[in-house]
Amino acid sequence: MSQPLLQVEDITAGFGATTVLHGVSFTVPAGGIAGVFGLNGAGKSVTMKTLAGILPARSGRILLNGDDITKLSPEKRVARGMGHVPQGRQVFPQLTVEENLRLGAYTLRRRDKGRYAASLDSVYDRFPVLRQRRSQMAGTMSGGQQASLSVGRALINEPSLILIDEPSAGLSPVAQLELNEVLETVAETGVTMVLVEQNVAFGLSLVDTAHLMQTGVVVHSAPVAELDESTLATHLGIGKVLQAATGRALADRQSVPPQRSSSRAGRAS
Amino acid sequence: MGQVVVLGLISGGIYALFALGVVMVHRGTGVLTFANGEVGTAGLFLAALLVDGWEIPLPFMDNPTLPALPWPVGALAAVLFAAGLGCLFELLVVRRMGVSDPVAVAVATVGLALFLLAGEFQLFGESPKELAAPVDGTVEIAGVLVTPTQIAGLVLAIALGFGLQAVLRRTDFGLGILAAAQDPSAVRLVGVPLSRISLTVWGAGAALAAIASLLVEPTVGVFGPGYASELYVVGLAAAVVGGLNSLPGAVVGGVTLGIAESAATRYLSGIGLSGLRYVVVLVVLLAVLIGRQTIPDLLKRLDEQTGRPAEARA
Repeated sequence: MSQPLLQVEDITAGFGATTVLHGVSFTVPAGGIAGVFGLNGAGKSVTMKTLAGILPARSGRILLNGDDITKLSPEKRVARGMGHVPQGRQVFPQLTVEENLRLGAYTLRRRDKGRYAASLDSVYDRFPVLRQRRSQMAGTMSGGQQASLSVGRALINEPSLILIDEPSAGLSPVAQLELNEVLETVAETGVTMVLVEQNVAFGLSLVDTAHLMQTGVVVHSAPVAELDESTLATHLGIGKVLQAATGRALADRQSVPPQRSSSRAGRAS
Repeated sequence: MGQVVVLGLISGGIYALFALGVVMVHRGTGVLTFANGEVGTAGLFLAALLVDGWEIPLPFMDNPTLPALPWPVGALAAVLFAAGLGCLFELLVVRRMGVSDPVAVAVATVGLALFLLAGEFQLFGESPKELAAPVDGTVEIAGVLVTPTQIAGLVLAIALGFGLQAVLRRTDFGLGILAAAQDPSAVRLVGVPLSRISLTVWGAGAALAAIASLLVEPTVGVFGPGYASELYVVGLAAAVVGGLNSLPGAVVGGVTLGIAESAATRYLSGIGLSGLRYVVVLVVLLAVLIGRQTIPDLLKRLDEQTGRPAEARA
């Protein structure tokens, strides 16, 4: 087994006098989708902000491809292969679809401008709707289309890791399904993803490994196949109704492993 | 009528240049800056010193005197000095304020304006200072004697308004500037260095204000502390009339206010109200703001009454 793509070692972080993360640790191997789950206030989005570099870690280390990136600015992390699908998608509404993508390729175009055209083409092939609407202002597209653009904007920079913050938030059930499909196809390309999700049922349908957070620490990490309903319920501290929903999602996920799992296992080895 | 338009275009060009600086900073940072008028005035003082032959006051030695430099050199120094002031303000104040509310940063710009104003009074006193025009001569257009610097102001405003927009859309860094105020954190998350964007727009906004001040000053030929701030207020209004986010809009806003003001001076001067021009600027500003809010509302209500869904129109 080669070194993990992302290593988070005992991170603490917070705002002002408040410490939110009390030593978060988890490891993400190359390939596949890892999920960070937890209820409101568990520290998921703070974890995401710290990984992105928007919030400084007070102690601990973050390693990407074995390199310590704990002290790097968000921009430098992006240049090192970190991509983002921010919460609420955050496309640039007053720029066209293509301008959004060009901005997404900012560090790629600085590294190797020649690769941009091919990368743009591959994003357009993956999301034909973006090609159709390349000259349209991003703010005028539907939520699902903006989600595709947000994912495309991350992919175009050829990242090795994409951080996805609350992808299902604010999307209609139909758009959630759409997005689910999009992320599945992205996973097939071998890009590793870490997603943070409050909607555990949605998240479980996607991820291979789950990291469960409670009050600022990761309390349990396991492949989805080894999870059971009561472990989830205990570590997330969720009530009966939610437990039933996540339980169903978990059962669904375990009974029908997505086809990509086998191919990905092949790649990871 | 022709006279009104020509006079309006001349002052409108200057308002537009100020407004372009306002829009640059607002687009890049979301902040409305009130300091750039005084930054422009500070630039004028430096230009005047250099063009006159500056006796540099140094402690403990004979004051060396620079030779009188030509206007373009003084002007270039003024623009660079202003840009430097803008960048310095960004580095020392804006950056240290972190991700605070744009309104807080806007208040800090008022502080900068007052600081510069106090400095100007301290160093140069109240009496007006002279800075001669770079080139002599006038051209007659529609019965108005127009100087080359006045024409340069208008031409430069239009060229910068539309040219800058094109350049920003064409370059990656420019796109970053256009996107920055829309969503600063998303800009960082695609890998664009936000701090460099902020530095650039603060420098550019200040430089534009210096250019506007340099091109308007020869119309009167003298200036004093606070000189450009008076004009900058109209520039701010012009930026708002133009929508605050659009560089071509800033040019249109500047010219609109310039023409409205010259029309008021021409046709309403009989009222005998001093400061009438500011009243007119305010009226146009309010009309645009109210119109922008109510016209889409009215259209929507019209659609509802005719039973047509609002989307059908789009």
